[in-house]
Amino acid sequence: MDMASESPSSLANGDSSAASTPAAAAAASSSRMLQLAESLKLEHQFHRVPLEQFKKTIRSHHRYAEKEISAVLSGVADAADRPDAMSREDAADHLRSLVSRLQGLKRKLEEGSKTEKLQVQRCRARLDHLDSIDGDNLTEWNNTRLKRILVDYMLRMSYYDTAKNLAETSNIQDLVDIDIFLDAKKVIDSLQTKEVGPALAWCAENKSRLKKSKSKLEFQLRLQEFIELVRADNYLRAIQYARKYLAPWGATYMKELQRAMATLALRSNTECPTYKVLFEPMQWVYLVEQFKQEFCRLFGMTLEPLLNIYLQAGLSALKTPFCFEEGCTKEDPLSHEGFRKLAAPLPFSKQHHSKLVCYINKELMDTENPPLVLPNGYVYSTKALEEMAAKNDGKVTCPRTGETFNFSELVKAYIS
Amino acid sequence: MEKKKRAEVGKEGLNSAPPTYREHMELNTIKDAFDRVAKKQKLSCSKTQEVIDEVGQEIEQAMAKMQSTDNGSGWDLKSVLLELKAKLNEMAPMNQLEVSQRELNVGLVKYAKILEKCFNPDISKAYRNVDSDVHIVNQIIASHFYRQGLFDLGDCFVSEANEPDATALKSPFLEMYGILEAMRSRNLEPALNWASKQSERLLQNGSSLELKLHQLQFVETLQKGSQNEALKYARTYLAPFASVHKVEIQKLMACLLWAGRLDQSPYAEFLSPTHWERLAEELTQQFCSLLGQSYESPLSVAIAAGIQGLPTLLKLASVMAAKQQEWQAMKQLPVPVDLGREFQFHSIFVCPVLREQGSDENPPMLMPCGHVLSKQSIVKLSKSSTRPFKCPYCPLEATVGQCRQLHF
Ligand SMILES: [Zn+2]
Repeated sequence: MDMASESPSSLANGDSSAASTPAAAAAASSSRMLQLAESLKLEHQFHRVPLEQFKKTIRSHHRYAEKEISAVLSGVADAADRPDAMSREDAADHLRSLVSRLQGLKRKLEEGSKTEKLQVQRCRARLDHLDSIDGDNLTEWNNTRLKRILVDYMLRMSYYDTAKNLAETSNIQDLVDIDIFLDAKKVIDSLQTKEVGPALAWCAENKSRLKKSKSKLEFQLRLQEFIELVRADNYLRAIQYARKYLAPWGATYMKELQRAMATLALRSNTECPTYKVLFEPMQWVYLVEQFKQEFCRLFGMTLEPLLNIYLQAGLSALKTPFCFEEGCTKEDPLSHEGFRKLAAPLPFSKQHHSKLVCYINKELMDTENPPLVLPNGYVYSTKALEEMAAKNDGKVTCPRTGETFNFSELVKAYIS
Repeated sequence: MEKKKRAEVGKEGLNSAPPTYREHMELNTIKDAFDRVAKKQKLSCSKTQEVIDEVGQEIEQAMAKMQSTDNGSGWDLKSVLLELKAKLNEMAPMNQLEVSQRELNVGLVKYAKILEKCFNPDISKAYRNVDSDVHIVNQIIASHFYRQGLFDLGDCFVSEANEPDATALKSPFLEMYGILEAMRSRNLEPALNWASKQSERLLQNGSSLELKLHQLQFVETLQKGSQNEALKYARTYLAPFASVHKVEIQKLMACLLWAGRLDQSPYAEFLSPTHWERLAEELTQQFCSLLGQSYESPLSVAIAAGIQGLPTLLKLASVMAAKQQEWQAMKQLPVPVDLGREFQFHSIFVCPVLREQGSDENPPMLMPCGHVLSKQSIVKLSKSSTRPFKCPYCPLEATVGQCRQLHF
């Protein structure tokens, strides 16, 4: 500290986090906590997905209970309104059937409440996971975080076996969302074999929410089915199909609808590019992509895999012009070919203050470990040079030029 | 109310510990909100069961009435059914269901809102829409699995993602993990084999790993009690190092006096298991270095940097939300993204006058007073090459000729 007051380095930037006083230690720990909290605030999806899944389950159970009970009530009302139509035995049988229907409902709801309970547990497990960080397990927690990000990547890319394998061997099944992706897999698989049934069923299941988000998916599925009928030269059915399933979308997607209808006249072997594209197999690939997006949106997931988002942010923050120089250390991800390619379209990071790393021991050069200048202009940290001088009778050798100097020839540099 | 109280406690507790991450992100509020959801879910479940039971009981009562009064007493089917209908109407089971469901929904909506408030609801806002090459990402992931020693997982991934070319790191890391595995069961043979093959390159790296492995083997031999064998070992393997590592070799040879009871000797420290751990770590480091690989997985490093940097990028993206195009096209981030020192791989000099990063054209220069400025600012300050100018950070003067270029 006294060095700082006698030397001009009092202007040196104060963000050295080497805590030399209790107050500095407290400040460092406080800023670490804030940084940790900021990074945890990125975990919205981690909590949102199981919540959406839970809501979906509750909704379907509730809908089922409503349907069954109202059926029983109207069963009673029907009988009461026309008692002359049945004998006493018939009436008793009728009531008995209603009671057994209720019992069936009850059994099913008991099953259902077990599922709900598991989903509540899963939501809570994630909150607990967030709550479980302490000084000792942060590294392990971060490793788990990387694994969760990797499982997310595998699931979105349809690498289901790897996803399951990674989740099981790391024992993080409750912290990843494999099951909902397996539901999506059924739809994706069917679309890949050019079958729209499961996808349409999925749309029906989530009708109100898709409507709210103005989803186009159902229209696109219907359109594709229509195109397939045209391809098969099945015009009568195509027209029937269009009347029934496409016409209701007319107000919203008039242009596309008209374009599709025109294929009736042009047929599938048309060379006109506007229509030819409708018959291309790529359309099915688009449908899969479209479905994946709707699916992610419905569960509150990002459309991009988490891995891509974090990787891009990391590479941007790490990217400096020095990363691409020959002597770049291997510890920098950007010294590796693949990372460099991924970083190519990204902006460089920016620094407001100098940050100097000692070439010899890779330690930060700051007020605690100030930079020393050799007569040849090369700069290394005090610690590294002192160590070298102690071993070599007060002489230091520049590792980059091979020149040797006396320790007494070195001068301190002040970097503000 | 509760929240207020907590905030006040925070304010007055000036001497108390700084807030934890839990307080920063109001984890308790989130948990409370979820507890309410869980409670309402239980209530709603039992309410539904109750409603079903009640409806069932009414119907069963009607059935009982129909049976019991069968012989004689005057009842007619119509009145029993109408009575049942009236009772069920009065009970209004559908309403009851709806009420409990609504309460659960209120809880769910509140919880979802709290999640949205306490977390960042869309972390893709700062994402640049670039076509990221799936193959490159897959190769990076496969390499990550292999270098972490997750060979089965790596194989599973490579075949599922159909990336047969992504296995470059498999066999070298199989070798490394084989060596480490053997070391864990106190077998130095594979490690010594590898080190002797790489002997020269290790020395070039400035590593005395080979000697350290021989030391450990020597101590192991000695501890097993065979003085002769240990001596033979020392003559063969330690002697070549004797001239450079005098002190260590002398100490080791003195150990011979304590063969079989080294643990009671002044050299008991040689037996400490930490030697094994440290050596395993050093071996990993050297192995990776000779392979041209980093010690840490580059994927882990890049993702960790992303997790630290993303909050700043998201804030920036939300400020620039109206300038989407600018965001997608910029060549340098407009604000610094502060990363921990573990991500500091390069010396970056920022001229304190120009506030610009140094470069080959505008390198850092040392003034006689010890302050460092960029070449451009020195040229600007000096106006002419011979006239002295005052350092902006201290009273001392300098001329351009006295300033020296620095290399960090
Ligand atoms: Zn000065």
